[in-house]
Amino acid sequence: MLTSFRWLQELCPIDADVHEVAHRITQAGLEVEAIEEKGANLSGVVVAEVRTRAPHPKRDKLTLVTVFDGEAEHEVVCGAPNVPEPGGRVLFARPGAILPNGTTIEPRRVGGVESSGMICSEAELEVGADAEGIFIVDAENEALPGADVADALDLHDFVLDIGLTPNRPDCLGHVGIAREIGILFGKRCEPRKAAGPRRTFAAGASFQADQPTTDLVKLWDGQSELVDASALSSISVEIADGDRCPRYGAALVSGVQVGPSPFWLRYRLHNLGLRTLSNVVDATNLILLEWGHPIHGFDLHRLRGAKVVVRLAKDGETMATLDGIEREFTADDLLICDGRGPVAVAGVMGGSDSEIRDDTKDILIECAYFDPRSIRRTSRRLGLQTDSSHRFERGVDPEAVPRVMASAASLIAELGEGASATTAIDRVAIAHSPKSIAFRPARAARLLGTEIEAEDSQRILEAVGCRLVDETGKVFTFEAPSWRPDLGREVDLIEEVARVRGYDEIPTAVPRVRPSESGTPEVLRFISALRTAAVTTGLYEAVNYAFLSVEDLQKARVSTEVVSLANPLSEERSAMRTSLLPGLAGAATRAQRHGATEVQLFELARTFHPSDDPLPREDTALAILLAGNRSGWIGDEQPFEFYDGKGVLEAILDRVIGQRPDFTQGEVPAFMHPKRSAIVSLAGRAVGFVGEIHPDVGDALELHGRVVYAEIDVALLHAISEELGTPQGHLLPKFPAVTRDIAMLVREEFTAGEIATALSEASGGLAESVRLFDLYRGDQIPEGHRSLAFRMTYRDPESTLTDKRVDKAHAKVAELARDRFQATIR
Amino acid sequence: MAEPDAVQTFEDGLADIRGAYEQALRDAADEPELRLVNGRYVGPQGELTKLLKLMPKLPGDRRRELGQRANALKQEIQSTFDAVLDSIHRHARDAELTGLPLDVTLPGRWPMPGRLHPITRIRNEVLEILVSLGFDVADGPEVELYENCFDKLGFPPDHPATDEHDTFFIEGGPSSGRHSVLLRTQTSTIQIREMSLRQPPLAIVSPGAVYRRDDDTTHSPMFFQLEGFLVDTDVTFAELKGVLTLFLRRLFDEHVAVRFRASYFPFVEPGGEVDMSCVFCRAWEGDKERTAACRVCKGNGWMEILGCGMIHPVVFENVGYDAEKYTGFAFGMGLDRIAMLKYGIPNIKLLYDNDVRFLSQF
Repeated sequence: MLTSFRWLQELCPIDADVHEVAHRITQAGLEVEAIEEKGANLSGVVVAEVRTRAPHPKRDKLTLVTVFDGEAEHEVVCGAPNVPEPGGRVLFARPGAILPNGTTIEPRRVGGVESSGMICSEAELEVGADAEGIFIVDAENEALPGADVADALDLHDFVLDIGLTPNRPDCLGHVGIAREIGILFGKRCEPRKAAGPRRTFAAGASFQADQPTTDLVKLWDGQSELVDASALSSISVEIADGDRCPRYGAALVSGVQVGPSPFWLRYRLHNLGLRTLSNVVDATNLILLEWGHPIHGFDLHRLRGAKVVVRLAKDGETMATLDGIEREFTADDLLICDGRGPVAVAGVMGGSDSEIRDDTKDILIECAYFDPRSIRRTSRRLGLQTDSSHRFERGVDPEAVPRVMASAASLIAELGEGASATTAIDRVAIAHSPKSIAFRPARAARLLGTEIEAEDSQRILEAVGCRLVDETGKVFTFEAPSWRPDLGREVDLIEEVARVRGYDEIPTAVPRVRPSESGTPEVLRFISALRTAAVTTGLYEAVNYAFLSVEDLQKARVSTEVVSLANPLSEERSAMRTSLLPGLAGAATRAQRHGATEVQLFELARTFHPSDDPLPREDTALAILLAGNRSGWIGDEQPFEFYDGKGVLEAILDRVIGQRPDFTQGEVPAFMHPKRSAIVSLAGRAVGFVGEIHPDVGDALELHGRVVYAEIDVALLHAISEELGTPQGHLLPKFPAVTRDIAMLVREEFTAGEIATALSEASGGLAESVRLFDLYRGDQIPEGHRSLAFRMTYRDPESTLTDKRVDKAHAKVAELARDRFQATIR
Repeated sequence: MAEPDAVQTFEDGLADIRGAYEQALRDAADEPELRLVNGRYVGPQGELTKLLKLMPKLPGDRRRELGQRANALKQEIQSTFDAVLDSIHRHARDAELTGLPLDVTLPGRWPMPGRLHPITRIRNEVLEILVSLGFDVADGPEVELYENCFDKLGFPPDHPATDEHDTFFIEGGPSSGRHSVLLRTQTSTIQIREMSLRQPPLAIVSPGAVYRRDDDTTHSPMFFQLEGFLVDTDVTFAELKGVLTLFLRRLFDEHVAVRFRASYFPFVEPGGEVDMSCVFCRAWEGDKERTAACRVCKGNGWMEILGCGMIHPVVFENVGYDAEKYTGFAFGMGLDRIAMLKYGIPNIKLLYDNDVRFLSQF
């Protein structure tokens, strides 16, 4: 919320500069996000008197003006239509002045005439929004030519941008913030009658909170003509739903002249980010900013049937709001109605039919307290968030209704030139009852970790507005102030004490953390180890958005049975991913687009799948994507293919589990290459797959070349890892091994893996390992065949092998190769 | 049958070899040539080998003596070979030791490791500190029940406190409100989940992805948070200050100043936010000019870093804890923001582009 420091000082004069105030309220929970000084950037702009005025010799729309700036006369060419008669005063930027937008004023020729300086509009000086004509100094202003504009127009101020948390509706107006400053600086600050630089106030008005509930309240007995009291008493106010509208006040201001607001009011609203419209509307906005309590003005003569009814809408009932939009309501929306139908959406926005117009004379001011939840639901449903709904849904002060209403009525009467306000109705359906809250100083000490004297706590809470109603032993009972709906239980009061004293006053201690029995789930450590292993093998970790479009999923041929968002930001991010492939592929596509030759990515994240439970199933997967070239040594790059993916998986799993997985031909997902992919299994259970992406899918994903992809089910992998247990140590072999090689020519359809397994089995248990060390195709190898060479390592753990035993075993191995695989032994 | 010529042939052969071998071996330019020359004498087809094959033809009385001479010659050849080989090796080594050095600027030959994503990296750093203080790590679902994300955490129904949590709802159930399913907007959900499962004492931290309908230059609709909380019989605000001060000093710099100010989160009270002195301009060093020019803290020397507070009794009541018996504190931080501060990442969008040129910076 934008706040005028000047205004705060008027409401609560204290001896501290803006920075100190900003710091203190920030520490106490009203975070000042920015401070902007006003009226400080206008040096060189002064009040000047018009001495002569003549048409420009060549240009129709321009005027030649001579102004006196207190020191000298300057001839200026002015384009504004409203140059005053000689004697009138304007705002003059001397040559050399720098305007707030950064323009430096320099003498220049306009239509052949030298113009030295500039007569400014309020928009050019950024003190208002009016850019139609130049600013003319009010006759009542006594500033002399040469007076600095900031002094002459009283522009000096600081605007604080305060980021308010939603628990503090009391600070949505200057009165509340001033009250808070008073508390923090130890100065009692009574919410006073409305302030403004030149305002006069209703004399003799009484603003007691415990006012009679339904009758006319005497508001204004100034010098103006008395209003015909019967005008208001003939209006009836009826609250049909007291839960939604516990209190409704209506004040009448008669004989208003709608017109522009005085400069001080426009300037203040402008600085605080509001547009200025007319004196009546500006006044309601000023009251809003002052009290934080929205009010609404109706043109009395447009209220049909001299009646105000606060009731729930009927389903389907409609009304056009001030913004010109026809709104449809439900039976959960609270409306303000006249004798015929709705005239305002309670607490949100008025209706266009009853709004204040230029010819409005008599105004009925509404000042009410509405149930916050009701306002919020309506505002959300209509998608209509206004300054009014913002405050009502957070909770305004129900007891402030008479004060605010009086303040508003007197302000409008004053600004309305000859208008008068004398009477009001204050209808209370359900009286506010303050909450009683027990406060134990001992509990505060136990929660905060520091002792606070009971008297100190009491002093702070009373400053905050709490009323001590009982003190029994070590329990104090307070009543919370009506403007603090956030104070409802003991801990709220403890926070008030801590906050007002300052969190800095609480000491610092380091707790002894007692260990819990369950500790950190093992799977989380496992996931962390997987990430580290993936990085060690050369992969870069990606983190993708978990939502994407169904089209992305379709393109990647992954499951489109999705968990969808009801309110996505865009179609591109409307479905939760069912696979990590689209995200990684997207990153790879972008990498290839900017010319990356090697893409080696992994992601360890969740995928989402619909389920019969209240929540969808979340699976954690490890996905790997390789595209482009594996980097070799100086020009030795090779395109990634299946075996790179296999190798990476082996490296990762070997490191994390201490075991390499098995790779077998089998049914892989449709997006994988049917002939260049494998099922990955461990301890006989499939944990994932690896291979090249189906070339058609690669095309759809706009990826170039062979793309390797692998996906592993992390939960399953972890479960198997737990079963396999920790690697155990073994003694080293005592007896030497003997190696023999066997090279053979075999048909392609026999896999190296099955041959190796068979060779090992054929050795009668003597082969300790079988390792493929050569693979050859090409010259001298018949079509459909390849040459494989295995190194057999034989060892008997119990004795030294004799050549004879090895020869015998090796012969059996060769025999098997011939018999089972029709191999030609070379 | 002995052949008288054989003795002559044998002796001539030995003499020829003896006369030639040494020079021949010493003339060899390199190891392969040396081996070739050596083979000419003692290889399977070598001259000396051939002579030895004549042995059976020698007369018995000369056989022994000639055999010994042949073997002696063979050994001489061997030792000359060894000496020459040695000298060749020595020469080669001397040449390597004194010649042109290697071009050490050619690329190294070993696969390079990859890099962890900065989010993972910061998560690891943060967890290492908090785990060493005694916190356990926990995890929870990203798609959540409304009640776990809001109601049970003390968000009043229809309250504007939920406005800061512009929420993604899941299709299929109610698309808003208390019976809906949503993408969690905060990792504080883990408080409800863990407290519903376990009894105090509890010291838990939980990092994870969260989602809010915000997408502009400073907001990403998915981002990462870390929630931490401690519940026991006498946990105090003073201890909250202690833990967070220690944490921030370990994570950033032992000199950072830390300040706590009041703020509001429905699930904590007293609630606060923590500012620390700006780590970009190293505000604690008091260089006023540097701080004044700092684009990160905008000259005020402080940066907002996390939210915290004492766990609200309503949260304890909602999970069935005795709110009189137990107290606790909780804190939450944006891992993205901390990673950006710590690693100087200028734009949050870089975190989710997965551009390898960016990823390889960490």
